[in-house]
Amino acid sequence: MSDVLRAPLRIPVALLLGLLGGVTCTVAWLLAGGGDYWPVWAWIGAGGAVGALVVVRAAWRLRAARARWTAAHVGLGAVAAGVVAGVWGATGGGPWLGWPLLGIGVAVSVHLLLAYADRLPPRPSERRLSARVDELLVSRRGALDAQVSELRRIERDLHDGAQSRLVALNVLLGRAEGRDDLSPAAARLVREARQEAVAAIAELRDLARGIAPPLLDERGLGSAIEALALRSPVAVVDVEADLDGRLPRSVEAAAYFVVAEALTNIAKHAPGARARVRLHADDGRLALVVQDDGPGGADPAGSGLVGLRHRVAALDGTLAVAPAPGGGTAIHVELPCGS
Amino acid sequence: MRVVIAEDQALLRASLCALLREHDIDVAATAEDGDGLLRIVAGHHPDLAIVDVRLPPTFTDEGLRAAIEARRRRPDLGVLILSQHVEHAYAADLMALGAGGIGYLLKERIGDVREFLDALERVAGGGTALDREVVAQLVGGRREDESGVGELTGREREVLALMAEGRSNAAIARELVVTPSAVEKHVTNIFSKLGLGSSDDDHRRVLAVLTWLRGEQAAPTSG
Repeated sequence: MSDVLRAPLRIPVALLLGLLGGVTCTVAWLLAGGGDYWPVWAWIGAGGAVGALVVVRAAWRLRAARARWTAAHVGLGAVAAGVVAGVWGATGGGPWLGWPLLGIGVAVSVHLLLAYADRLPPRPSERRLSARVDELLVSRRGALDAQVSELRRIERDLHDGAQSRLVALNVLLGRAEGRDDLSPAAARLVREARQEAVAAIAELRDLARGIAPPLLDERGLGSAIEALALRSPVAVVDVEADLDGRLPRSVEAAAYFVVAEALTNIAKHAPGARARVRLHADDGRLALVVQDDGPGGADPAGSGLVGLRHRVAALDGTLAVAPAPGGGTAIHVELPCGS
Repeated sequence: MRVVIAEDQALLRASLCALLREHDIDVAATAEDGDGLLRIVAGHHPDLAIVDVRLPPTFTDEGLRAAIEARRRRPDLGVLILSQHVEHAYAADLMALGAGGIGYLLKERIGDVREFLDALERVAGGGTALDREVVAQLVGGRREDESGVGELTGREREVLALMAEGRSNAAIARELVVTPSAVEKHVTNIFSKLGLGSSDDDHRRVLAVLTWLRGEQAAPTSG
């Protein structure tokens, strides 16, 4: 087909040639003394050829394959119908014209129907299914948002409740420890009690951070991941966060925990490896890469990665584990973050 | 020393006031939120404001922002931020105030009363008091292969961390149970290995170390 396009025959030239052929035949007919007007066959042939050329050229301008082939089929069908009608007229009419036109019409209609079946109004079962999917998408998003705010509430309750009481207790113990009317044995007990209180405070802090890192809520993903990198036993040589403002909270939380889990995995399976974290939000998507220069060979079916994959999938995201260029492992995550 | 306190948790506010008064520190006023802090700083001319980072109404970093604003209005005010979790990002905001008179400690450090009072004195006197967790993040954040941290001995690292917390040489000597002149020798070695100009002034030395730890061009420290 593309040969037709590249053919040197341009449409005006083709028209001219067709016209010339018809006129030449007509002149010959006149010179031969007239009679039955046989050059009509030349006109029909030239018309059909030029019409087909115009249709194919026009259809080839359409870029989408579906539109191109459909347009070609409809156009050629129309040209064929014209040729048939011409033949019908030239042979003096008759009752047969309807059949070939019906055939062409049916062929073109079937093609149209097959090509554009998806534009047909949905059947009731499809309508119900799609309404159900919409409903599930909304309720899943709602559940994820509710989970994020619930976890934040728990973190705040811990902060304002148990953690605060322990801090106040620790101050009381510190005051008691400093009193000079305490026997040395009692002072030692108070000091031990205070050390226990400090340990409990530290444990609660780690727990609260694992539930909902306060910095994530307060400063967003970039700051929270930088802090994560600073606290991680893994040497994180580079955190590159290219984020424009805040993302939906459920996306921020998922991305944060992906990085946290990835760094934990690196510390466990590739001790001594250095890591690099890249975040890039663009066009309603967050792309996240955690890469290490360890020995590589991470098992994509490992329990940590499976948990992360579920978490990412719940947000319609994708997670892929691949060997990093130059050895090591790279985890690629994409999360939609449009509103 | 005259202090004001901004803390929304009544229990902690009360025990902190009691603790300070037991040690003859004048608690001039207390507040429960950021606006309250700005009012009592303006009304009572304290040497030092002790501020909880998380205050109403947002319960995020309201206290930090109010303290920075208070400091902007009164540049000689010492600001000590208390928090249940310390974050490098907040320390950086505080250090951006520059020139000392800042502190950032975990709340549980209050229980170690002697060290806490020492930190208050330092901050009110224009020094710094950074929690050792923040310092660990700062030191850990420097890449060994390109920063010179790798050249430091274990003891020198300990001295560097204690300096970054804001301790004086005498305090470092006490903490590590060595003589002040030994600390002095370590400090000289650290400054030469990190390529920092030396200084006899404790505060300026701490600032040079902090500036370096934050990965910025070290401020000139001669004099």
